Formats: sequence, C-alpha cells, structure tokens
Amino acid sequence: MRLLVTWLLIGVLAQARAQPMPASEVSVKAVFIYNFTRFVEWPETAFSSPDAPFVIGIFGADPFGSVMAETVAGEKVGNHPIHVQRYRDPAGLADCHLVYVGSREAEVVREMLASLGRRAVLTVGEAVPFNRMGGMIRFLTRNNKIRFEINASAARAVQLNISSKLLNVAEAVN
Amino acid sequence: MKNEQSELLTAPYAQNVYPKSLKHLFRKTIRPTARLCRFLRLWPALLTAPALAQVAPPASPSELKKLSLEQLMDVEVTLVSRTPQKLSEVASAIQVLTGADIRRSGATNIPEALRLIPNLQVAQLNASTWIISARGFNTIFANKLLVMIDGRTVYTPFFGGVLWEQQNIPLEDVERIEVVSGPGGTLWGANAVNGVINIVTKSSAETQGAYVSVSAGNFLKNQIDARYGGRISDQLTYRIYGQHFEREPTLLPSGDENRDRWRMTQGGFRVDWAATARDQVAFTGNFSGGARYLALGKSRLDGQNVLGRWTRRYSEQSELIVQLYYDRYYRNDANATGSDRLTTYDFDFQHRFPIKNRHSILWGLGYRLARDFTEWRTNTTAILPNRKDLPLYTGFVQDEIALHPKLKLTLGTKLLHNVYSGFELQPSARLAWAVRRDNLLWAAVSRAVRTPSRLDVDYFLPAYPVPPTQPSVAGGPNFVSEKVVAWELGYRWQPAAGVHFSLAGFYNVYRDIYSVEALPGTLTYQIQNGSEGESWGGELAVGLQVSPGWRLRGGYTYLDKDLRAKPGRSFNPDYLGNDVKNRAMLQSMLNLPAGFQLDLIGQYFDYLPKTLATARVPSYLTFDARLAWSARWLELALVGQNLAKDRHIEFGTLYIPRSYYAKISARF
Repeated sequence: MRLLVTWLLIGVLAQARAQPMPASEVSVKAVFIYNFTRFVEWPETAFSSPDAPFVIGIFGADPFGSVMAETVAGEKVGNHPIHVQRYRDPAGLADCHLVYVGSREAEVVREMLASLGRRAVLTVGEAVPFNRMGGMIRFLTRNNKIRFEINASAARAVQLNISSKLLNVAEAVN
Repeated sequence: MKNEQSELLTAPYAQNVYPKSLKHLFRKTIRPTARLCRFLRLWPALLTAPALAQVAPPASPSELKKLSLEQLMDVEVTLVSRTPQKLSEVASAIQVLTGADIRRSGATNIPEALRLIPNLQVAQLNASTWIISARGFNTIFANKLLVMIDGRTVYTPFFGGVLWEQQNIPLEDVERIEVVSGPGGTLWGANAVNGVINIVTKSSAETQGAYVSVSAGNFLKNQIDARYGGRISDQLTYRIYGQHFEREPTLLPSGDENRDRWRMTQGGFRVDWAATARDQVAFTGNFSGGARYLALGKSRLDGQNVLGRWTRRYSEQSELIVQLYYDRYYRNDANATGSDRLTTYDFDFQHRFPIKNRHSILWGLGYRLARDFTEWRTNTTAILPNRKDLPLYTGFVQDEIALHPKLKLTLGTKLLHNVYSGFELQPSARLAWAVRRDNLLWAAVSRAVRTPSRLDVDYFLPAYPVPPTQPSVAGGPNFVSEKVVAWELGYRWQPAAGVHFSLAGFYNVYRDIYSVEALPGTLTYQIQNGSEGESWGGELAVGLQVSPGWRLRGGYTYLDKDLRAKPGRSFNPDYLGNDVKNRAMLQSMLNLPAGFQLDLIGQYFDYLPKTLATARVPSYLTFDARLAWSARWLELALVGQNLAKDRHIEFGTLYIPRSYYAKISARF
C-alpha cells in the first residue's frame, strides 16, 4: 500500500514536470523552429560538405534574443551542427537552410523570398499573407497557443520534404 | 465583450504566470561569488521590480524541447505584459471547464456540462427545466447568477434567472466554460451576486471542415449536430451549424411517464474577420425553435440573436472593444396559460490601458434595453403592466495596481441604473499575493446586487383588484435590490499545466432578500425585502494529470447558511434556498490503447430539506460512463448517464431515469 502511495506521488510529480509549462511566445516559437528541422527533410545537395553547418537565419529584427541559439545549442540536423545567424542584408541568406522573418511588412517578406530564389530553404514567417506570397510556414496565435499554416507546395517545389506528422498538426495546409 | 475579459480570466488558470522568484532566475548562473552576484543583480532588479516580474518566462527551451509536437501545440504562451492582468484577475474562485473535458464527459447539453463544475449545484426538475446555482439560493427561480454565451447575457430580466432549455449550442464548438463563484458585479454587472458563468465558443478558424454527429438513446431520444467551417480568405473564416434533438419525458412518482417530452431545432453561424493586424471582428447568430409537449398542451418556444463585436488591440496592455447584440425569445407555457416575449438590444464598450508600469485601467459603458411582453390567458395571475421597457445603464472602472512584484491590488466599482431600483453601486477590492512561484493567496471583499425583476415587482394574483379581506398578491411596488457583501479568501497552487489545486472560502452577508408578506391588517400580500441571512462555505477543486493518458478532475463544496425573516417580519424564506450542504464530483478521463477512451464521472449531491414549497429530496450518488473508439475521421461512443440507480429525483418530485445513448461522429 505504502509502495503504491509512494509510486503515485512520484509518478504524479514526475508527470507534473513533464507537463507543458507556460512559456514565452518566443521560446515556443524557437522550439517549433527546432522541431521543423526534425520534421522536414533537406536534400543533401543543400549542404556544401557532409559536416557543413545547418544554418538558421533570422532576417531583420530578431525577436528571439539568445533564445534561438540556446534552443539549438549542441543540436544537429543529421551530421550538420545547427548554427544561428542574423542577417540584415538578404544577400547573405543564400547560405541558410531555414530563414525566419519576424517582420509583418509585405515589402520585407517579398525581398527575403525573392533573394532565396529556388534554393532549398525553409521559410518561416509571421505576416498574414506570408504563405500566399510564397512563404512556407506561417506562425499564428490562437487563444494564446501557437499554431502554424503550411504551404506544402512551395516547400515541395524546392525539394523540401515535409513529414506528414507536421502537416497533420498544421492549422491549414495549402 | 465579457468574452474578452474572460480570456484574461482563464489564462491564469490554464497556466502559471507568477514570476519566478529572483533566486530561481539566477540559480543557474550563481557559482563561486554567488552572494555578490546575487546582490549585484538583485539591486537593479529590485528597483525595476514590476517590470522584471513580468518577463520571467516559466518554461525554458530545453524543457519545451522534450514535448511532442502535439504537446507543444497545447502550450499556452504568456504575452509578456499581459501577465500582471492575469495574475490579479485570478483573485477569485474561478474554475474552467475545457471543451475537451466536456466532450469526454458525454454531456449532451449545457446544463449537463455544468454538472462537471464541482462548485455549481445543478438539478434537473423535469425534462426541460434545470435549476443551477452557486453558493446557495437554489430555487425554481434561481436568480443570482450571471450567465453569458459568447458575450451575450442570457439571464432573463423576467425573473432574473436563466431559461436553460433555450440555451442550446453545439458542445462540439465550445472552447471553454468559465465559472466564477462569488460576486462578479464590479466587472460583469447586475445579477452576478453568487457567480458568473461564461460560455465561450471557438473561433471559426478553429472549427474548419465538416462535422456530423448522430446520437440515439432512451432519455435523449435523438440528436443530430452538423457543422461546416470554411475560409473565404486568410483573414475571413466562418462556420454554420445546425442542431436538432428530441428528449423523452421524466417519470412521475407512480412510475408513469410525465408529460414533458420536448424537441428543439437550432441553427446559427459565426464569422471571424481579422480586418487588420490589430482589428478583429466577430459576428455570431443563433436561431432556434421548438416545442414542449406539456400536460395541458404543446408549448412553443423560439429564439433569435445576432451579435457583432469589434476588438482593436493597440498593444498588449491596451485594447478597445465595442459590442452590439440583438436577442429575442418567445415562450409559451400551456400549463401556466401564459407566454412571455422578450426583446433585448445591447451595446457595450470597454477600454483597457496602462498608466506607467503599475496601473492597468479597465473601464466600460453599457446600455441595454429589454422590452418585455407577458400575457396570461386567464385572470388568475398577471404580470402588470403586461408590456414594459427595462432600460439598463451601466458603467464600470477598475484599477489594477502592482503594489509589489508579488502583490496586486484590484479596486473597482460598477455603477448601474435600472428601471426598478434606480442607481446601484457594486464595488470590490481584491488582493493577490504570489507567495511563491505557482502559489497564489488571494482575498476579496465585494458588494453585489440582484436587481428587481418583473416577477418581483409586477406580479399580481389575481389579475384584478380584490378587497383587502380576500387573499391576493399585489406586486412588489417597494421591492428593492437584494444585496450581498461577500468576504472571500482563497489559495491556488498550480505546479504544472495539468495539475492544480484550489481552495476558496467565503462568508456572505445578504440583506433585503425576497419575501412575500401581508400588508398589516389585510390579506393583501406584497413582495418585499423582508428576509436576510448569512451563508458560508468552502470550495475545493483539483486537477491531476496522473499519466499522459489519464486525467482526473474533481472537487468538493460545502455550504451552510442561516436565512431568516428580518426582525418583526413574518415570512419563512427556507424555500428560497433548496441547497445541498455537501457536493462532490470526480471526473476521470483515460486513454486506452487502440484508440479507445474510457471516461467515468462520479457525482454526489446531499439531500435537500423539505420546505413550505418543496418536497424533501434524498441525497444521491450517481455515475456516468463513456466508452469511445476513434480512428481518423470517425468516432463511436456509448454513454450511460445516472447509472447508479434505475431512477432518482434531483429536485421536486419527478424522477430522472437511468439513461443510455450511442453516438457516431465524423469529421472531414
């Protein structure tokens, strides 16, 4: 009996720890972005060498502060260690594998997307028409929870393979 | 409008937004010169304490990374500067029932869903009538709760209570139900004497696609729900729904069927439009019609309402809401040979803004015009005059003051003007102390009023004047608002999102409570304010995520009271409160392998004492069970309700039978 009680208590506390805690918006988004690297497949041609870094680019204003770097510290995509880079100039984005643009300005988004051309870069944004403009994953907030929409055809067009698991939890897939 | 406020109300429940202790914040970085470090860091922190208190994110990326995608989707994000708002608004006995809890319960309508809130007393009187109250005063005319559906107030000024049979919305689309026990008069308005129930449906963006469900059973004869949600553009989403049900009669003490079967058909829509990055517009509408087949004939009821709400968010701390709605219902009652038609026009405005870092001001104005038309086809009773306009003007202001990073004081008052009792003031003061992370101790004192209703002031029996030597009831020309001053103390502990524990105690002092008394030397009775009393009790609510697939929630409520006639008055107010002393509820939601779910609910209601007007109701223990299986787009469920006994009484003398139903749902 006592054993049972102890087990229950420990079980509950352990569960309590494992339960989702409230979190700041940016850390949840950072972890989602980290998760995108897990559920999207990049063609090997996107990397210059077998151990070249996987670059997450933050274009324009960086809402994450140090959170993005903390989230992916020590993590890899396959054999590629993840690096985080900030960019002011879209010209440098060509080296990225994933680009996040926090700006809601259509002009900024358009500039960013145009600079990537048909490279295998996963684009993540916030602007309402992000996916319509050719972006791939747009974050949105509903009832204090983070949701995202996926533009699967845009990803497919540049040979990014998005797993069905990610597509299933997306709010809208087009 | 209230809808919007309530999102704030819920937020703290669903998450812990209490600032981490500073010590905790720095624990990781403190190594050799810990004390010096701590001091150096603390010092500026203390100076800017209120600001700092707002920015502690409770979950770190490394914790979040352990979550599955689905779990991550469930994490609520704290929009930093809103935090203090949430903190102090939780300084009340709030319980939140999520849409998932409702769907796992097998509840088929709103009253059944409300049975899942352990501090509500819910009793089914007959097939179509439910009596619901918090903190006492449970009667057929229970009139001390404020109930809202998507921002629309649904208690009727005809008697101050809610016609629950008219409040049908598809439970599939319910986002959550928030229940605050205790006064909510300052923010919410008249009638929030003993509690507020706020029912919030999902945004149409969250109900995309088609949903159909069909149920059939013995007490719920059949029910069909259908909904389609679509997207016109990225900014514009909508849903339309339809619902139809038929419900079987209750049983007479003899075991024969009572004549109270009924049916309703309802449809409606919701449109959500993100007009700009900071403007959000919502339109909702519901249209229903049905009939109750009573002993003396078919009694029709119907309702229509449309609501529009515009929200402009200037920043996280500042927003403006404007809401308009129109609501109309008609109900006929063959047994009473009467009917009531009520049309309501409502306008609300609300604005929130900060002053420096310490104050958050919320203020609002409202105007509501209810036009009532009541008709009795015999002259044994009457509501006179049978047509009456009931204009209501309200204004409120509240200041939330951060006294200290861990201490929030909320002061506010509502001022309203109603047609019967004129101006009424409903002030409140609430103090919230974040004792430690995840721990909140709160205290509150508030005053609230239950304004007079048609049934208090305009009620005549018989309809024509009779001499004082013959018995009659001649309205309540001098009836004023019933008043409460409530003292509350509560504690909430929430170590994780799925785990919470809350305890609230209250002591309520009621004055000018309803009475019916004869004028001296006559048999002419008038409705007066000749009763008074006190009530006290405690409410415990717990939630526990035992394992990822097993969740428990439940609670226990104790209530006692002393109601009496004022000195020198002769009236026995016992029947105004057919209240249970003890009430407990436990809900278990268990996921089994292969897509099965097994859900159980246990309920205990103490006995109701006999009064002048009502029979004694024995205590009862009952349980519901639901077994469901789902795969992709299909879900099958078998539900049994009130399984413990063949039949039982909840209020009055009619029996509620043990019931079963099967349900098939499909989502596309």
